[in-house]
Amino acid sequence: MPYRIVDISDYKISKNSGDILVTYSLGSCVGVVIYDPMVRIGGMIHCMLPLSKVDRNKAEQRPAMFVDTGMQLMLNQLFESGVRKSRLKIAVAGGAHILNDDNLFKIGERNFTVLRKILWKNSMLMNVQDVGGNISRTIRLHIGSGRFTVKSQGTEVHYDLPQKD
Amino acid sequence: MTYLKKIEQRIKEFPDMPAMSRTLLQSLEDPDVDFKQLEEQIQYDPGLTSNVLRLANSAYFGATGTVNSLRVALMRLGTRRVTEVVTAIMVSPMMLKSLSGYGLRSQDLLQHSVWVAVASEELAKLMGYRDVKMLFTAGLLHDMGKIILDPFVRQQKDQLLQEQLSESFDQREVDFLGMSHAQAGATLLSNWNIPEEITATAKWHHDPESAPEYPEQVNMVHLADILGYSEGIGAGIDGMKYRVSPVAHKRLGLKKSDIEYVASLTLDKMNELESLLT
Repeated sequence: MPYRIVDISDYKISKNSGDILVTYSLGSCVGVVIYDPMVRIGGMIHCMLPLSKVDRNKAEQRPAMFVDTGMQLMLNQLFESGVRKSRLKIAVAGGAHILNDDNLFKIGERNFTVLRKILWKNSMLMNVQDVGGNISRTIRLHIGSGRFTVKSQGTEVHYDLPQKD
Repeated sequence: MTYLKKIEQRIKEFPDMPAMSRTLLQSLEDPDVDFKQLEEQIQYDPGLTSNVLRLANSAYFGATGTVNSLRVALMRLGTRRVTEVVTAIMVSPMMLKSLSGYGLRSQDLLQHSVWVAVASEELAKLMGYRDVKMLFTAGLLHDMGKIILDPFVRQQKDQLLQEQLSESFDQREVDFLGMSHAQAGATLLSNWNIPEEITATAKWHHDPESAPEYPEQVNMVHLADILGYSEGIGAGIDGMKYRVSPVAHKRLGLKKSDIEYVASLTLDKMNELESLLT
């Protein structure tokens, strides 16, 4: 099956049931997967920083670098391609931190907080949350089945995003 | 044989820097070096020549307009930059292989190293530190010790990753293997006769408070390294298992927004340089 790699600060949307979206090495970054099981369209984003205000120029060139601008972009595009909010399944992974969670480097926590606020404001719920700790994660989304996997330090966990409510 | 002995053996047997770059780097250290003479040395190696030209034309090394002649490229870069560019070209092939012990795919180590080189310079620039000697190269070479330790990390992976451990990963390397990748890298680089700023940075990059010399290089590289791991750049099994020195960023007076700004600037520059070096 063809892997489609989502690079850091990038996102991808697919409606091809053979595709597997994958993003590697989520540390403090957050990876968000949004999937509509009815139409089998899914998106994945890999954001490295919480808020675009830290570098407006960069946010113009690479909106997916930041959780705020990136989520907005991906959601808009998903809605345009026929995804409905009422059917969305959402999985989130990443947001890890180094050993001594120094305030300056709480990027993971800040990423996750901003993400939660955005979802909350849009009344969207997280179905799967695999966040925090001091591990780096690789995530995959199988577009055909809605299967979502998180791999870290050699162990892989499978989640089947609920098909229908 | 103990792991420590095996590591020391491996450092001893590790390939030397190419002889040609040694001579070249020595002539670059001479402040009165004649550009014509430099040009002759580099021209002798067509691969090196084209790589120097590519890097001289990169956005990162400050190109404005295309440079086609080696002479112009050298003048434009200046001797210090030429040294860094030549070192990067010579050493980066060693960082391309995957390191399965550390869980790094091919190019991951190079990517992480380029991130640290660029982010260190961005940090220095942002915080108003000018003229931090050899900072780029110190960042680029800080993790060479991982190439040395990798086969042993692979053998001791389960021990190194035990759940209950709270020590940082470099300390676990000392506990289970007898030497950290930081020390292994420093020993290798000093065998190569690499300038001391660079060797010291490799040695102290996880323990900047103990560094007896070169605090700027050591602190910047330490912070750039932790930032890279935070962002998952070349973060293998060890990536999130390090500590940030509270002293390093207080000394620099860094704020959260500074750190995030540096991260946002570094990513694209890293991508550019990485693709030029592979």
